[in-house]
Amino acid sequence: MTAASSTELSLPPVRKGFWAMLAPGGGKMLFALAAIAIAFLFAFPVLWLFLTSIRPESGVYYVHRGTEFTWHNYLEVIQQENIYKAFWNSFAISTLATILSLGVTVTSGYMLSRFKGPIPDTWFSLIYVLRCIPYISWVLPLFFVTRQWGIFDTYWGLLLPHVAVHICFFSWIMKGFFDGIDPSMEYAALIDGCSRWGAFFRVAMPAALPGMTALAILCWLYTWNEFLFALLLTSHKTPILTVVMAQFVHELGMEWHLMSSTAILALIPALIVTIFGQKYVIRGLRV
Amino acid sequence: MGEVVLKGVGKSYGNVVAVRDVNLTIKDQEFVVLVGPSGCGKSTTLRMIAGLEEITAGVIAIGGRVVNQLPPKDRDIAMVFQNYALYQHMSVRDNLAFGLRNRKVPEAEINKQIAYAVKTLGIEPLLERRPRQLSGGQQQRVALGRCLVRNPAVFLFDEPLSNLDAQLRSAMRLELKELRKRVPTTSIYVTHDQVEAMTLGDRIVVMKDGLVQQVGTPLELYRKPANQFVAGFIGSPAMNFIPMQVATTETDATLSAAGLTLKLNGERAAVLRKSGARDIVFGARPQHFVLNGAGSGLLPFQATLSTSEQLGDQQLLDARVGDTPIRIAGVDPFLRLDDGVNLPLGVIAENIHLFDSKTGLALT
Repeated sequence: MTAASSTELSLPPVRKGFWAMLAPGGGKMLFALAAIAIAFLFAFPVLWLFLTSIRPESGVYYVHRGTEFTWHNYLEVIQQENIYKAFWNSFAISTLATILSLGVTVTSGYMLSRFKGPIPDTWFSLIYVLRCIPYISWVLPLFFVTRQWGIFDTYWGLLLPHVAVHICFFSWIMKGFFDGIDPSMEYAALIDGCSRWGAFFRVAMPAALPGMTALAILCWLYTWNEFLFALLLTSHKTPILTVVMAQFVHELGMEWHLMSSTAILALIPALIVTIFGQKYVIRGLRV
Repeated sequence: MGEVVLKGVGKSYGNVVAVRDVNLTIKDQEFVVLVGPSGCGKSTTLRMIAGLEEITAGVIAIGGRVVNQLPPKDRDIAMVFQNYALYQHMSVRDNLAFGLRNRKVPEAEINKQIAYAVKTLGIEPLLERRPRQLSGGQQQRVALGRCLVRNPAVFLFDEPLSNLDAQLRSAMRLELKELRKRVPTTSIYVTHDQVEAMTLGDRIVVMKDGLVQQVGTPLELYRKPANQFVAGFIGSPAMNFIPMQVATTETDATLSAAGLTLKLNGERAAVLRKSGARDIVFGARPQHFVLNGAGSGLLPFQATLSTSEQLGDQQLLDARVGDTPIRIAGVDPFLRLDDGVNLPLGVIAENIHLFDSKTGLALT
């Protein structure tokens, strides 16, 4: 035997085991089934919620049985004046909180990313510490503070705590976005005739726009869905959707059917924002 | 006028000194290259001239005007960055116009300047594209264009070619040289690549550890390096260094190391005698060795071949003199040499360099 023939070309070894037993394309099929199963796991509660919302009051405990469906729950909900107010308040609070917190978050994230020194260091430590405090432990002090300041059950009473929390959480993310943007672009702008603020507004901020959009959407959804602050820092004057929804559970019983239909209604704006925003969220988080 | 003067310029971050006591006068229309290994302070010096870095000592003047306190936009400079720093959210046209619009230049004038720049750089078809749609070389041209349209007193270049591949880099180097002829503006160019420095610069400033080591024309630095660092940094392959001991007599000097004895006379011997140095470093460029060399003007010695590298147009030999490795360049590519063979070498006497082994300074 020569050396050449001892290194004969051989076919790759036949794969054995579970995947080899499947028919061609079986692996992909299995993967698709798994994906559908996981998606169903997440979609199931929403589906159940929707089914509950179109069942008469008597049918809510037997959603899986019976064929009686009705839109009456929705009609009943939209006849309540409080719901419109709550929708508007939730929308206004979410939008204002997004605008206000983004205003601060963008500048604070930029500072954390670009500047070194005692002020950014202190700020960084401060938001780090505040982030570590459990969310729920803020609520009671905030309740007293808002009472003391006379802003309990007003927009400001809910807005300020929301903005404070957002700033702590999102400054970090914003810092990450700016870290990903090459600072020499701003240096070029400084040489091209911009002031430091000009370089920030005209060059750094447009470059961070995908990130900012993603953050704005997350911020809006977060505030829209928030319950704890809304429950404790507002009352009858400023009804908030999540709280109004919870009020269908009262001393006379639980109106699951009405709560479900309100929840489905509340889902619609969030769904619209998510559908329009997911492109930006994914792009932003990839920056 | 774009004369740039640096007087005693220094930069320190707390206790860390990045640049110290830089004194330099760059004449109008001169092309000066700052070169050195990374961390030598060359980029910091450039950024201080640009106004992107505060100056902690000394004075910088551009066009006869002290600019220490002036923001970058008022210094009448333009800069090309290593990663081009194009505004990603603007088209090429807007990138070029940005600086002019900030200065409230009329649109007609802006269009004229852009037309001139894109014609000079051959980037007309790219005007409406976004930076991310351009190749590295194209982005580099746009970055150059952004400088050209402004027509500033000084161009600053911060390692503009280091992000390009080797082939494109040498092509762009030539383009820069061409551009230089057409637009003779004062330029300060930072690089760590000594080939770029040698080919582009009217004068070169070699820096190390925040200190200027030598300022001179490419040929001066190559032929008369002020110290061992400059000698080793400039020229490729790098200069060979052999630590040697000196013994002088009335007429000549003998340099000795393990496996090597060289006799110097005349001016070189006088220099060694005058310096009184006992330990020196002998330096010779790989190109200045002659194989089988003997005769006047050559210092003969023996080396053992370790290995040879075939480059096609020449061979590079790695050899040993005693324990010291040396490289020899420019050897006939057809010459067949076996590893371990004894090489009778001659080094051209007038091209040797002698450095004080303690201070590293050239003995002249």
